[in-house]
Parts: sequence; C-alpha cells; structure tokens
Amino acid sequence: MSSPVSDASRPQLLKQLWRDRYIYLLLLPTLSLLALYTIWPIMVSIYFSLLDWSGFEAAGRFVGLANYQELFGDRLFWNAFKNTFIFLVLAVPIRVLLALVLAIILNQAIPFARVFRTAIFLPVVTTAAILGVVMRFVLDPTSGPINLALLQSGLLTQPLNFLGQAGLALYTAVGVWVWKWLGITLIYWLAALQTVPNDLYEAAQLDGASAFRQFTHITLPLLTPFTIIITLITVVEATNVFDLLLTLTNGGPFYATEVIDIYVYRQAFASNVPRLGYASAAALFFGVCIIAISAVQMGLIALVRRRTVEAS
Amino acid sequence: MKDDATTPLSFNRRHMLAGMASLPLLGLAGSRALLAQESVTLRWWDHFQPLIPLHDQLIATYGEAHPGVTVDHQVMNPADMMQSLQLAFRGGEAPDITSVPDSLAVVSQLLQAGRFAPLADTVVLDKPFQQEALFEGMHVVNGQVHTFPTFSFRYHSTSLWFHKAMMEEAGLDPEAGPASWDEIADAARKATTGNRYGLLLPIQFAARMEAHLRDLAQMAGGVGDIDWKTGEYAFASDEFVAALEFLLSFQSDGSLHPASSSLDARQGRVRWAAGEAAMFTDGPWNSGVLLGLDAAVLDGIGVQPNPGRSGSGTVQVAPAPGTFWITAQSQNQADASGILGLMTSDEFYVALAERMDQPPLDLSAVDRANVHPTYKRVIAGYADSVRLAPEPLIRNPDVAKVYAEMRTVSPGLGEIIQGVFAGAVPDIRQALQDYADARTAERDRAIGVAVENGAQVSVEDWVFDNWELGTDFAPSQYSSAG
Repeated sequence: MSSPVSDASRPQLLKQLWRDRYIYLLLLPTLSLLALYTIWPIMVSIYFSLLDWSGFEAAGRFVGLANYQELFGDRLFWNAFKNTFIFLVLAVPIRVLLALVLAIILNQAIPFARVFRTAIFLPVVTTAAILGVVMRFVLDPTSGPINLALLQSGLLTQPLNFLGQAGLALYTAVGVWVWKWLGITLIYWLAALQTVPNDLYEAAQLDGASAFRQFTHITLPLLTPFTIIITLITVVEATNVFDLLLTLTNGGPFYATEVIDIYVYRQAFASNVPRLGYASAAALFFGVCIIAISAVQMGLIALVRRRTVEAS
Repeated sequence: MKDDATTPLSFNRRHMLAGMASLPLLGLAGSRALLAQESVTLRWWDHFQPLIPLHDQLIATYGEAHPGVTVDHQVMNPADMMQSLQLAFRGGEAPDITSVPDSLAVVSQLLQAGRFAPLADTVVLDKPFQQEALFEGMHVVNGQVHTFPTFSFRYHSTSLWFHKAMMEEAGLDPEAGPASWDEIADAARKATTGNRYGLLLPIQFAARMEAHLRDLAQMAGGVGDIDWKTGEYAFASDEFVAALEFLLSFQSDGSLHPASSSLDARQGRVRWAAGEAAMFTDGPWNSGVLLGLDAAVLDGIGVQPNPGRSGSGTVQVAPAPGTFWITAQSQNQADASGILGLMTSDEFYVALAERMDQPPLDLSAVDRANVHPTYKRVIAGYADSVRLAPEPLIRNPDVAKVYAEMRTVSPGLGEIIQGVFAGAVPDIRQALQDYADARTAERDRAIGVAVENGAQVSVEDWVFDNWELGTDFAPSQYSSAG
C-alpha cells in the first residue's frame, strides 16, 4: 500500500516531467550516445568479465568470478598495477609542478616568452603513437641525439640504454610523457595565473614583500582550487598512456613499463590465445580503483573549497 | 462486329503502358541477375608482405579465367591480424580467404568453433610430397581437407647473416663465415670498432628471440621444447641454458649492438644492413627482404645457415601448418577454392621460391628458380639441420581440444630472454625451470578441462618412444608410437 505522500507526489512528478519535456528532449541525443558508447560497453564488459572467452568462439563459457580470483594471484597484473601507480606518483607531480614553475616564469615580461610557450606546447599537438616511435630514435644508445650530447659533453663515458634497461625504462617513459603533455598543463596554469589580481602584488610590493613571500602568500593560496582541478585532470590523463607506451617500449623490457592499459591489451588481443573475459576483469578492477582515487580527490576538492569559503 | 480479341502481336494502349511501366523493373532485375552471375568480389587477408606480387599475380590469373571475379587483397601486420579476425568473425564480416599468423592453439580454437570451411574438389593435392604434408587434425577435419601448406617445414629462423667484408677484416673466410660459438664470439669482438658492433639481435621481438634460443639450443644438441621420448618440457636443459648464456656473452663483452634491446627484426635488419653491425640472425627470408631493400647490399652478404651446430645437432620442427583457410562465413567458397587451387602447381612453387621467403613445399623448386646464391645456400643448409618432429595432434585429434584450452604462459621464453638482457632475470636456469614447470602445469590443467568435456586425451599423447633425435618422424611412425 502506498502512502498518501507518494500518491500526492506522483502527479506532481509527472507534471514536472511534462513541464521540462524540452529539456529531456534536447538531452536525448547526448544520453543516447552516452548509453551506446559508455554505459553499454561497461555493462558488456561486466558480463564478459564472467566468461572464459577467446573471442573466436561464438560465445564464451560462464566461469563466475574465476577471472577475478585468477587476477588477484597474477603477479604480472600486480606488476602492471604497480607500474601504473609509479607512473602516476612520479609523472603527475613532476608535470604539474614543472608546468607551474614554467608558467610563473613565462607569465613575466621576459623576451621570447611566446616562442617558449609555443615550443613547449608543440609536442601536445603531435600524435602520441608517432611520438613514441620518434623517441625511440631520439633515445637510441648509439645514434640518438640525447646520448650523443651526453657523451660529447663528457657527462657520460658509456651510452645509456634508456629504453633497454629494466631499471631505467619506466623513468624514461615518465620523462617522455611529461615532456609531451607539459604544454597543456602550462596553458592551464597560465590561465589560472590570469585570475590572480595584480593589485594584490602591487600592495605586497608596497609593503616590501619579497618575490618568494608574494608567491607563498598570494599566488599559491589563490591557485589552490586550480591545483586540485589540474591535478585531477593530470591523474586521469596519466592513466591513459597506452598509445605512447605501446610504441615507445611495448611494455618492456621484461614488463618494466607494462601499465594496466598494455596488460589489458596484451590479454585481450596480443596474447597467443586471447582472453577477452580475463582482460575485461582486469580493466574493470582497475576502473574501480580509479573511481576510488577520484572519489578521494573529489573529497579533497570539497574540503579545500569549504576551507577557502571559511577563510574568506 | 466489334472484335475485342487481340492477336498475339497486337498491342492496345493499356498493354503498352503496362509494358512501359515494367521495363525499368525488368531492366533492374536483369542487371541484378547479371551482376550476381558475373561480379563477385572476394576478400583475402594475409600477413605475407614479401609475397604480395606473387599473390596478386595469382588473383589476376584467376580473374582472367573467371571474368567478373575480383579480389580485395589486404596484407596485414601479423600482430594486428588476429584482433581483426576476432572482430570480423564476431561481426559476420570474415574474409573469404585468410591466413592465421598464430599458434596451433588458436587454429584449434577456430576449427573447434567451426570457423573454417572445407576446400572444394578443385584443389588438387595429388603429388606425394603434397599428400605427405597433410595430417588429420591439422589440415584435414573429418576426412575433408580444410587447408594445405604452401611452405616447407624444413627451415629455421636462426641463420647467421654477415657482411663478407667485415668477416674478411676479422680474419675469417668471407664466404663461409664463423661456424662454432667460439668463432662467432671471436668474430663479433674483432668486428667491434668505434660505432660498429659485432652482432645485432632483434631483442624487442620476443617471438623471434624465442625461436633463436630454441634453434641455437637444438643445433648445439638439444632436443627442443619437448623431449618426445618422455613428453616433458626441456626448457631448463643444459643446451637451453648454454644457448642463452652464449647470447648474453655478446652483451657482456660489448660486441652486441646496444640498440638491440629496442629493435625488432625489421628495424634491426635495416641497421645491420647499413653496416652498424657485422652479423645478424634471421631466417631464409632475409635474402628476399634485402633484395627489396637494396640489391647491392645483398651481394656483399654471406650466410652461415646453421651457426654453432655441433656434429649431430638438428632443429626439430613441427609439420608445416596450413597457409590459407576459407572461412565458413564466405559466400564465395567455390571461387576461394579455385584461387587456392592455383597454389599447388609446379609453377607456383618456383614462383614462390623466387620471392625468397619461407621455402616452398616442393624444395626442389629452389634449384629450378632464379634466386640469389645466399638463398640457395641457406635452404641447402637446412636439408642437413632441420628434422620433422612428432605432433601429438596427428596421433590423437582430441589433442586439439587441449590446445584450444591452453593459455599463454607469461613470462614466455621470449620475455625471459628480454629480461635476461635487461638485467631483470639474474638466474637463467631458475627462470627457464620456472617456465618449464608453468608450461607443464598449464598443459595438465588444459588436459583436465578437455577430459571433463569428454575428450579422450592424456599426457601420454606427448610421448613418442620411437622418436630418434636427428631423424624425420615419418607419418608411418605415429601408429607404432607408444
């Protein structure tokens, strides 16, 4: 039996829906595309993750949670998981902080500032896959310009195999990724810096504040909300490094640069016997972890916003 | 009297209008029938880049004899092709003809799933060497031929190719090149000067490195992946360990091209051919590829077909798999069979040899073909060193169900080699032992699943007690194997 409140609210809801019908009508194309290309693939992936299926048979065999059980015991999955998080932990702060430093410098009236901005932004517009191939030549131990420069300047006596040594390859990949995307973060910071009122700096200068104190007491506090947003965007981008790493190292040497994207791809397509179900389980599990990280970040954003409001 | 009857040849206005109205329909129907009868476009996917001209010639020949039959021929990267086939089969868009650039496990899965159709009777495989190459379970399913090999099994991927001038500088015979492991290592050290290195290995290409290790271990006297006498995996044998240590020694003494770890076979070949390294390991197709790159370079190249081969060392190779398959989704299976039927003639084998790729099924065609001396030398070398191994699938077709169930073991042999070179795998023997154990466990698991599903198969199907190392395992031996 329904309550009088719910009975009363039902016509009101229908009335509201009818009143806003044009909003829903206009939303329909977007919602349809979202359902088709985001919701449906996720639902299908959840179903696939419960199958043992190579993709060659008409249908897979239902195995329940066996793929997830196997995943938790797969050391190569955890290696990829670890590599992904090392990549995140290293690449995100480096990119965000380096771009901030460059933005502060290039925000000043220095000569050729526009040339430098363009030069830093240029790799952003190049295709990541092509960049990966090109960087293999650039980092080549015998004929690559980086090794040649290091050897000729006397910094090295033996060439460094940037992509061929297990202990070096992931850090090299981090460096290449940071360089490739630095320009876009620089643009974010430059835009953020435009929001800091110039009169605050003028007042601080009148009070005799040093450049460092202006930075720590004016720039940084006012940039804090932007920092969180830029970091969030960068974290999301740092989990999508498939094209760059596939062409740069193909996950090697010996899984040293195998991140989750490449692990999933290898299981689903590049393995001798493809395993679509297992790959779906890995992708879903990692997706849940990313959602958890994003939730923590959203919580932090809310906290900072609350504190900013309280402080003001 | 008014005569309402019309003569057969007379028209009234109504008839004329009806006739005019039906003309376009008749024309449409007629042209459709004509199109259906005469215009057919087959789709053909394969991964044989060096054979494009040969296959296109076959297509043209068939098209001349069958006007209206055209072929959309696409050559794919082997790494991407299985992904395309996966999607095509699921979407009902499979090509009419396809190659399968993957293991027997995948072929078994596809066969089990009914993805392939039998060949029509127009494909004639009546010569003795053609008959001997066909096996139930691999090429024949329930007595119907589904595919056939166009390549011989008698080759391996680990011949040593070298710049003759550099070998001469190193004090070696520029024609024969280094033969033993010691000679190869010595030649590599002597050839290393400045920006030039002794050897270049395509370490980034895991499957190729796996083949190199397997071939070197066997040329040094090893039994191969499986000791057929016992059915056990032999990856941790002394020969495998020694072969991997031998490869690693080039890195230790500085004679290995430092970029090897980030190069695959194609990139490595180009840099070796440009003179960055004296030696390069590759299969017989190197002659054909180099000819395409720069014919002048090929004249300065020598080849040692069987590097490091001890007196009786032979490479055991499985029977040649089928080269092309007709998919069950094809609506043009008769024409597809007709095209594949052109691949069984003497002319085809000679033309195939002249592409200098994998050797043709009829090896005698190499002598009749116009090929570079390096190709003749390398193919002749395989006659002594490559032997036909047993294949459990031929003895017991239910083994296909085990192959279809077996999953890839990671890290694989190729990845272990990469790890050894990258410094991530310090204990070679232990790593190879772990790999052998993992393969054994996976085979046992797959056998268990297959048996649960009704297959009559056991690990004994991998035991061939009548197999002798260094000999071809004849088809007649399958019935007497224990």
